[in-house]
Amino acid sequence: MGATDLAEGTLLDRLDRYGISRRRFLTYCSGLAATLALPPRYAKVIAQALETQQKPALIWLEFQDCAGNTESFLRARNPAVADIVLDLVSVDYHETIMAAAGHQAEASKEATIAAGGHLVVVEGSIPTKDGGVYCTIAGKTARQHLEEAAEGAAAVIAVGSCSSYGGIPAASPNPTGARSAESLVSGVPVINLPGCPANADNITATLAHFLTFGALPATDGEGRPLFAYGKRIHDNCERRAHFDAGQFVEEWGDDAHRKGWCLYRMGCKGPSTFHNCGSQRWNEGTNWPIGIGHGCVGCSEPGFWDTMTPFYDRLPRAAGFGVQTTADRIGVGVAVGTAALFGAHGVGKYVQRRRAAAGEAKATVAAAEADAGQELDSELEEN
Amino acid sequence: MTTDTDQAVGPAEPEEYVTVKVWDLPVRGIHWIIFGCVFVLSVTGFYIGNPAWATRGDTGFLMGNVLAIHRATAWIFIVMVIARIAWAFRGNEWSRWHHFIPVHKKRRGLARHTVEYYLFVRHDPPPVIGHNPIAGLTYTVLYLVFIAQIFTGLALMSLEEPGSWQDSVAGWVFNFWSIPGVRFFHHIVMWLVIGFVIHHVYSAVLMDHEEKSGVMSSIFGSHKRVPPGHK
Ligand code: HEM
Ligand code: HEM
Ligand code: SF4
Ligand code: SF4
Repeated sequence: MGATDLAEGTLLDRLDRYGISRRRFLTYCSGLAATLALPPRYAKVIAQALETQQKPALIWLEFQDCAGNTESFLRARNPAVADIVLDLVSVDYHETIMAAAGHQAEASKEATIAAGGHLVVVEGSIPTKDGGVYCTIAGKTARQHLEEAAEGAAAVIAVGSCSSYGGIPAASPNPTGARSAESLVSGVPVINLPGCPANADNITATLAHFLTFGALPATDGEGRPLFAYGKRIHDNCERRAHFDAGQFVEEWGDDAHRKGWCLYRMGCKGPSTFHNCGSQRWNEGTNWPIGIGHGCVGCSEPGFWDTMTPFYDRLPRAAGFGVQTTADRIGVGVAVGTAALFGAHGVGKYVQRRRAAAGEAKATVAAAEADAGQELDSELEEN
Repeated sequence: MTTDTDQAVGPAEPEEYVTVKVWDLPVRGIHWIIFGCVFVLSVTGFYIGNPAWATRGDTGFLMGNVLAIHRATAWIFIVMVIARIAWAFRGNEWSRWHHFIPVHKKRRGLARHTVEYYLFVRHDPPPVIGHNPIAGLTYTVLYLVFIAQIFTGLALMSLEEPGSWQDSVAGWVFNFWSIPGVRFFHHIVMWLVIGFVIHHVYSAVLMDHEEKSGVMSSIFGSHKRVPPGHK
């Protein structure tokens, strides 16, 4: 934001000033097209759009967050070129990176909102309990900030699981009444880029899509773009062959672990999680959690934290009876309990018959009692 | 041994029993195919849930095959469950739906009798030819559990291919439950069904012994021997 002169002129001028060749820029656009799951010919369309686009203003709001998405975004792959994309949007307000502070910052934000047609990026969940006192900035609650910023915006982009679904702040018992951006914004298209954090590649690709097509990319039922969340981790996992072969890690550091076998039994949530980590990877494409031998923890799913814990168990546990119990313990309990109950019932029925037989005999002749007993016994033997 | 029913049917000796063809072929066929399916689905499901065997060495395509068997069996299972529900509207008297859900007054009276019988209050089994009303209700619950198992199974299957027909049929399940929650449910139902089978075989043995009606062989060979006057 400081280098105003660098940001002026056409995109080609700016690229030139940054010392980036057009070839490199096109390569970058091909990468974006691939991330967006578009056919290669779209690389050109994206390049054209980025070259001619007017800079839309962008406001980045941080609420109940850890700034992890900001960190992730600032470390976008191919940073020099990504800077250009960053540059394509004019980040008018971002608490972590803006130079302005205090009233000056708020004033610049208000001016952007008044102009309208801006993009709002939301990081962190919004507390709603007790009048939203758990997160206030410049004397206003997070909710007020969000509602004001969304007014007249072109789109709201929720980055990270907290703004997408409430995330860790919304985990049970959700003390602050944390909610997602989508649940509090109306009248403006909202897209969710969950993840803990959201992958920078997916953020830039979403921005590029918006700049190229003037609209947000197509989403799934959870409001996530299909290009990044259309497939499960498990269906795009480099360890999948070991899953299919029934070869599983049983303990951290065991032989199977060293061989890179499947982490299913170690609680990997890849089978429950939609995200493109396996192909997009992290830290400039270096590696990703499963690649380094740790299971996926399902960070990009609604209800992450509560629904994905315990991280090292395959299935959730059931609360109750003061302790948390596994599905199999409950199940064996049901089976053994049923067997015990009906076993006891059988004994009861046997006793009931004996006593009935004995009672009948008593009512007639006492001497017949022995016979009645014998009759019953032989009856039982017959069956 | 002082109730009305006892007076009416109690004195009948096994020799006077009449033979009734109770379970027609579809009922028996479906019963045993479902039994086979549940057996296969439980064994394969147990492995999917706890793949503890043969994790070392050359295991071929073990999990892939087990999942394929689970799915193939699931199709047969689904067809059989649908067939049995259809047959509840087409089959003979004792396979009809009103033997599963006691809507008629008479069936509800029999239900009371059955409960008293099970709770040791009386020792004469309820005078029925088909299922007693409590057994009928148990099977109704069982079928509801089966349907829940089918929907959660289809939902888990749909994860592999969002937008598939399984997704359209069962994707709504995830509006109520997270993906791991649905898996947990699908897993625990296996144990509920195992619990049912324990109870079920016990009841069949008990009734066979108490009624001497041949209920055990009836599920193989269709006929029951019942005292005259049973309905
Ligand atoms: C997975 C295992 C099983 C399931 C799910 C199952 C389910 C059922 C159902 C739903 C019925 C009602 C029949 C109908 O009208 O459709 C039934 C009846 C019956 N089943 Fe099973 N069954 C299983 C295993 C067995 C086994 C192992 C036996 C015996 C050894 C058995 C013996 C019987 C008998 C005797 C009846 C008739 C009971 C009556 O009149 O109330 N079943 N079973
Ligand atoms: C009585 C019937 C059934 C039983 C007892 C049964 C049991 C199981 C069990 C125990 C699992 C492992 C769950 C886990 O721990 O993750 C499982 C997985 C599965 N079942 Fe079933 N199942 C039954 C019916 C069905 C049906 C009708 C379908 C499909 C239409 C189905 C589809 C699946 C699928 C796709 C999985 C793999 C889920 C995953 O982890 O992605 N099942 N089943
Ligand atoms: S490591 Fe996880 S995501 Fe990969 S195949 Fe195994 S269970 Fe699936
Ligand atoms: S691998 Fe799983 S837990 Fe890790 S970032 Fe991707 S979705 Fe989140």
